[in-house]
Amino acid sequence: MAGLVKKTTGLVGLAVSLNPHERLRILYSKILASVQTMPQDAAYRKYTEQVVTERYDHVKTEPDVEKLEKKINCGQIEEVIFQAECELSLSRKMSEWKPWEPLTEEPPTNQWKWPI
Amino acid sequence: MAASLMRFVRGGFGRSLNIVRSSCLQQQIRPQSSTTETSPTTRPSDAIAHNQLAAFGEYVAEMMPKYIQQVQVTCFNELEVMIHPDGVIPVLTFLRDHTNAQYRNMIDLTAVDIPTRQNRFEIVYNLLSLRYNSRIRVKTYTDELSAVDSAVPVHKAANWYEREVWDMFERTFPLSGYVEVRYDDEVKRVVAEPVELAQEFRKFDLNTPWEVFPCLPRAQRLCSQTGGRGRRP
Repeated sequence: MAGLVKKTTGLVGLAVSLNPHERLRILYSKILASVQTMPQDAAYRKYTEQVVTERYDHVKTEPDVEKLEKKINCGQIEEVIFQAECELSLSRKMSEWKPWEPLTEEPPTNQWKWPI
Repeated sequence: MAASLMRFVRGGFGRSLNIVRSSCLQQQIRPQSSTTETSPTTRPSDAIAHNQLAAFGEYVAEMMPKYIQQVQVTCFNELEVMIHPDGVIPVLTFLRDHTNAQYRNMIDLTAVDIPTRQNRFEIVYNLLSLRYNSRIRVKTYTDELSAVDSAVPVHKAANWYEREVWDMFERTFPLSGYVEVRYDDEVKRVVAEPVELAQEFRKFDLNTPWEVFPCLPRAQRLCSQTGGRGRRP
């Protein structure tokens, strides 16, 4: 059974990935590169780097897909790839939005007071 | 006769005995229950879930200080994030795409009208993360004149809710960006135009059922009437 590729992920619209390691390696290095452009103290950069490098280390060290899924512990490897794709697109949008800047505008007084 | 009387007496006696017994039981139980009822019935507090939500709220607030004004966890363990109206799309996108959030489902979107406030409309987004089995509520505000960015590019489910909110309160979401298609006779093709709500307001006068569209040309109205009559046997 070793080396046999699974037939389906069981999820609609999510095809089985034939080379998950290579795909994840590309995605994670792209995320890290795009995060590099953000300021050093941005919380988004800090936490994303932390999550991504942790997963990237697992990908580098663990050749077996099933064990890798268990180590990452966030669903099947295809779902992990999808999450990495989302994170990559998000990190590119984030560098446009710059959400680490200070608050744009304070809320009007009693805006969030409830009951009135 | 005597036997039936005896039976009745026995039955009655037995029944009264039963009653006595049950009332005894009740009397025994009652003091216990009254002692337990002195403390009010409250919802058990789930400190672990509360702390988890509070920690995640702090995490989100630290990530996007530009837009997030306030974070709170309600007494029913619901995480609420109050944001500036400019940050609707960034915050919703962040909550959808970030690996540690993954709020990929929009459960509900609605608006609350509080007329005494300066920004009277409060817009509420309820999101669900299937991955982490967790929910979050995002709130923002607006007034009668300023429009909020549409959440449709982030969550397709928002489309219907936004139309509903527009129907209820008007002007909260912009009509710009929506197009409708129609066949243009002059250009001889289907054209896409920005939506205009130019439809005549229909006023139904129940006394004269034939003239419900007062602005229609008279000839057209008559034509439709005769057409309607002609079809009848």
